[in-house]
Amino acid sequence: MNTPKKYLFIPLIILASAVGSACSSGKSVTSGGNTAAPADSAVGTTLPELAACDTTALDSVTSPIEMTFWHGMNTTLADELVKLTDSYNSSQTKVKIKLVAQGGYEQTIDAYLQGSESSRPDVVQMPEYMVQSMVDTKTMLPMQSCVNNAKFDLSTIGDKAVTAYSAQGVLQAMPFNLSNPVLFYNKKIFKAAGLDPEVSPKSLEDLKAFSEKIIASGAAKYGISLDSALDSGGGWYLEQWFAKAGELYTDNDNGRTARSTKVLFNSKTGTELLTYLQELLDSKLAVSVGDNASGQDQLLKLVDKKELTAMTIATTAALGPVMDVIKGGQFKEQISLEDLGIGPMPGPDGTQGALVGGASLWIVDKGDNVKNAAAWDYIKFMVSAQSQSTWAAKTGYLPVNKSAETLDPLKTTYATDSRFKVGFDQLMSSKDAPSSDGPIIGPLREVRTVVAQAVAAIFKGADVATALAEAETKANQLINDYNALNG
Amino acid sequence: MFRRRGDGLIASAMLAPAIAILSIFVVYPLGRAVWLGHLRCDATGRKCRTSGWMQYFDVLRSSDFQHALKVTFVYALLTVPAGLVIGVGLAVLADKQIRGIGFFRTIFSSTVATSVAVASLIWFVLLQPQVGLLPDMLSMFGVMKNPGLLNDAGTALPAIAITSIWANLGFTFIIVTAALQSIPAELFESAMMDGAGGWKRFTNVTIPMLSPTLLFVSVVLVTRAFQAYAEVDLLTKGGPNPERSTETVTYLIYGQTSLVKNDIGLKSTTAVLLFVILLVLSLVQFRSLERRVHYGN
Repeated sequence: MNTPKKYLFIPLIILASAVGSACSSGKSVTSGGNTAAPADSAVGTTLPELAACDTTALDSVTSPIEMTFWHGMNTTLADELVKLTDSYNSSQTKVKIKLVAQGGYEQTIDAYLQGSESSRPDVVQMPEYMVQSMVDTKTMLPMQSCVNNAKFDLSTIGDKAVTAYSAQGVLQAMPFNLSNPVLFYNKKIFKAAGLDPEVSPKSLEDLKAFSEKIIASGAAKYGISLDSALDSGGGWYLEQWFAKAGELYTDNDNGRTARSTKVLFNSKTGTELLTYLQELLDSKLAVSVGDNASGQDQLLKLVDKKELTAMTIATTAALGPVMDVIKGGQFKEQISLEDLGIGPMPGPDGTQGALVGGASLWIVDKGDNVKNAAAWDYIKFMVSAQSQSTWAAKTGYLPVNKSAETLDPLKTTYATDSRFKVGFDQLMSSKDAPSSDGPIIGPLREVRTVVAQAVAAIFKGADVATALAEAETKANQLINDYNALNG
Repeated sequence: MFRRRGDGLIASAMLAPAIAILSIFVVYPLGRAVWLGHLRCDATGRKCRTSGWMQYFDVLRSSDFQHALKVTFVYALLTVPAGLVIGVGLAVLADKQIRGIGFFRTIFSSTVATSVAVASLIWFVLLQPQVGLLPDMLSMFGVMKNPGLLNDAGTALPAIAITSIWANLGFTFIIVTAALQSIPAELFESAMMDGAGGWKRFTNVTIPMLSPTLLFVSVVLVTRAFQAYAEVDLLTKGGPNPERSTETVTYLIYGQTSLVKNDIGLKSTTAVLLFVILLVLSLVQFRSLERRVHYGN
């Protein structure tokens, strides 16, 4: 501590300049980069040569190959994944899969992208918003290589799931756990309000009318609970609503024919949708749970005695866990297992259809033929009709294999409990158009973050046009930066 | 400088392990972070392009960084003085030789064995607006607003601060208790003989004798406040949006909803800036507090 006193002012000035808002540029932290011209490399064309995947390499193996699989599943979903993997391990002697739970999708992404190459697993589960970024890491073996080599019949897998995980004209990852948002509602409240408990609102107009009736009857305080989290109400649902409206979310056919260069959500459809939601909140027909930090706040509104709410929107993957909670009996006063109603996600004009959500399985290419073949063998098992039947029946995820619904236990589940089938039917009724495949852009997660902030602002009364325009500028900046680096 | 040439060689050999470890784990990473700070990169850090050294100023002047810095300062102001006062208060209260005091000492120090993650989860459950305990209790006093303390832009940061104060209490309590027990009893006795009452003894004997410990604890608490991450991640994820009222600098660097998280370059720029600010702050703290510290004779 012998620093002469007179030099102390130097750090103090730095500090003051940092805190002083007088020198704030008012710009976003990401806006500094010199943006290069958008890349125009076409993604729609097939690569000249796919990396090789020799699926027969496993034939000559005598001692078991140890494989690591990083996943982001939690609670009931993780338990079911363990069971499914155990049955794979005991079904054969050549491959032994070791599951490593990373704690969630985001943790899995961070561990994968930021870890060293040697620490990477052999198989990794990645959520649907990571397609373009994973392709751009150039560390993955395109699934199409193995599909071609093994002459695997890709038509056994749902078409929408295949297109969702295709980029550059080839299947990049194998869809595994498929989900989409559905309407969760309390039939008891519907009955009390004089509504048919078996009929859920299909259009946004219905949703409003139902909410008005429920509140007028005094059966509940709010019609629907909304959230502005990026993985649900703040980002993902908006993409879903655009798909339902038959509108593109980003240019170049949602990034399917070439890399997207800009977002298209600041449009008439976007403005109308968010104005509609804002009006629902303003007229107290809906309640907002904000950022939904717990991921369950919107669902908990259905059992909140002080602010009882009739409906909410959540992923089909929540169905299994929600039923487990209801079975626990903590909320038996508010809702029973039979009272839980599931309907398709209400959309503009009542249009059906939904985007593929959830995650897929990726093979990490370490240049080892035997490991690649082992990964393929495991993945093939995981998407087989029988595995998917068990998986979907236990979790609420939708089967990726078309024949899964003809096999037990899913056959019985679908026959006895139609609630599990709602998301599936919704997906099947999607239109065959690029708008129904969802956007693929490198920084989709970051774009959702800025959209979620706009939605949160709109929910709190901000001007819809201003908020959307601001989000559009930020999102385009993110896309440009990404393309400049990866184009 | 050295009496024999051999001394220099021996000294170098003895310093070598420390120099090697420091170079590998401190100097090299720091240098690399400073270097990365002028680049824009992808998440793997393998694809980069230069953005210019002005990036440091761009980030420093960006609204996001200034906002996060402000939140961090407010957070430190909320947690450090309160944590210090409560910690010292409890330690002084428990520094009595009476029956059953061990029970209270155990309780007051128990949070030292609680990780930030566990503490945050406990408070998350307590603060949960639908099923939590606190909202029900608070609503009796009319304090509770609808979306819950963590969902309200005005109360989210104080709510996290309470979690942090509680979690750090054990640490402060143990350190201060140890320091109290090392104060010679004669000092109190002579103060009593001079006619000093309880409060006089506290301000004129206890506080000066504790001052080195208080400086240490306050520097540690300030550093902890500036590094606060787990609490924010588990309780609010930087929200509530759109105000981002709990987005601290560390959360801006690698939080789940951070826009720079997947850009190793921008991330390094932000991290280096935080390092510089903390360095400055620690210097200021040492210089301004050191003069008041009484190290005894």
